[in-house]
Amino acid sequence: MLTNKAWSPYAAGIVIGLLQIPAFLLIETALGASTSYVTVGGIIASWIDRSIHVTATSRNWWQVALVVGIAIGAFISMRLSGARRRPISPIWRRALGSSSPARRCVVAFVGGFIMLFGARIADGCTSGHGLSGVAQLAVGSTVAVVAMFAGGIATAMLVLRRI
Amino acid sequence: MSLAFAVGLGIAMGIVFGFALEKSRVFEPGMIVGQMQLRNFIMLKVFLTAVATGAIALAVLNGLGYVKLQPRAAAWAANAVGGLLLGAGISLTGACPGTTLAQIGAGYRDAWFTLIGGLLGAVTFLYAQPAINKTFLGQSGSSLVFTDLVGVPYWIGALVLAAVCIVILVVLERWSPWRNDMGNDVDGDLPAKISK
Repeated sequence: MLTNKAWSPYAAGIVIGLLQIPAFLLIETALGASTSYVTVGGIIASWIDRSIHVTATSRNWWQVALVVGIAIGAFISMRLSGARRRPISPIWRRALGSSSPARRCVVAFVGGFIMLFGARIADGCTSGHGLSGVAQLAVGSTVAVVAMFAGGIATAMLVLRRI
Repeated sequence: MSLAFAVGLGIAMGIVFGFALEKSRVFEPGMIVGQMQLRNFIMLKVFLTAVATGAIALAVLNGLGYVKLQPRAAAWAANAVGGLLLGAGISLTGACPGTTLAQIGAGYRDAWFTLIGGLLGAVTFLYAQPAINKTFLGQSGSSLVFTDLVGVPYWIGALVLAAVCIVILVVLERWSPWRNDMGNDVDGDLPAKISK
């Protein structure tokens, strides 16, 4: 099972959903990812600009560790199954209408900027508002998730080419 | 809670999270862009399954009084505008803030640019926050929860939500089986438009 290249989305989704149990019981918070960008980005910025003060709590560091762990877990899973990836997914050639790696990296950079800027305005991302907020029946999180899919669909349909 | 415990637990939970993201293939740009172009439903399936599982777990934990819920404050304009931008970024990166790290772990090099762009976006927000808070985007309300509005206990609402998710998933799977969405190399790279 650990060496399979793919699990059903249901098996994987159950594993992810169960992670709320240690998050709530042991850290007293819900799963989330985007605050870690503020923690890490803010600390790096404070080295350059002394006026920036980021107070990182144990809970903030838990989330940074969580996203670092995500990279480690994905790496282990990929090595066990042998599902090695090319440097850039083949879908981008069609989605961007270009096979230029430079073009893809610029789009990724700009997209990453918009993604985190938006997530911080909304006070959460796919994990914090999506997985955790919706499961907690939070009204604001539901609004954020509907807007996220609306913005994602509009961009994928109007800006990207069909893959 | 000690820092060492928080970091150790975070890494351990992250490894499980990253493992599940990689196995489900939902971290693939082909799955994310495919979902947003409505021709691939892996993302929605993983998402709804995780929401249903989390809701059931929280219904039990909260219903028995073991945990307090932590719903975020509802801020209509910020949730809507931020959500739209977040979604646009998700389509352009083919990732979300968490799965960007899964892409890096699995070997996608362009994800490093997503990460750097994301860090810069988060820092830019830190600088812009005082100005943003003075606009309509700075108005935050209290944390509204659907079950409080209706006047029933959370656990009942959470179980109803889980049931709704499961019904949607059953219908979705019948209409579009997950194996058909895997693509060439479990990357969501599907052959040119097939008619369903």
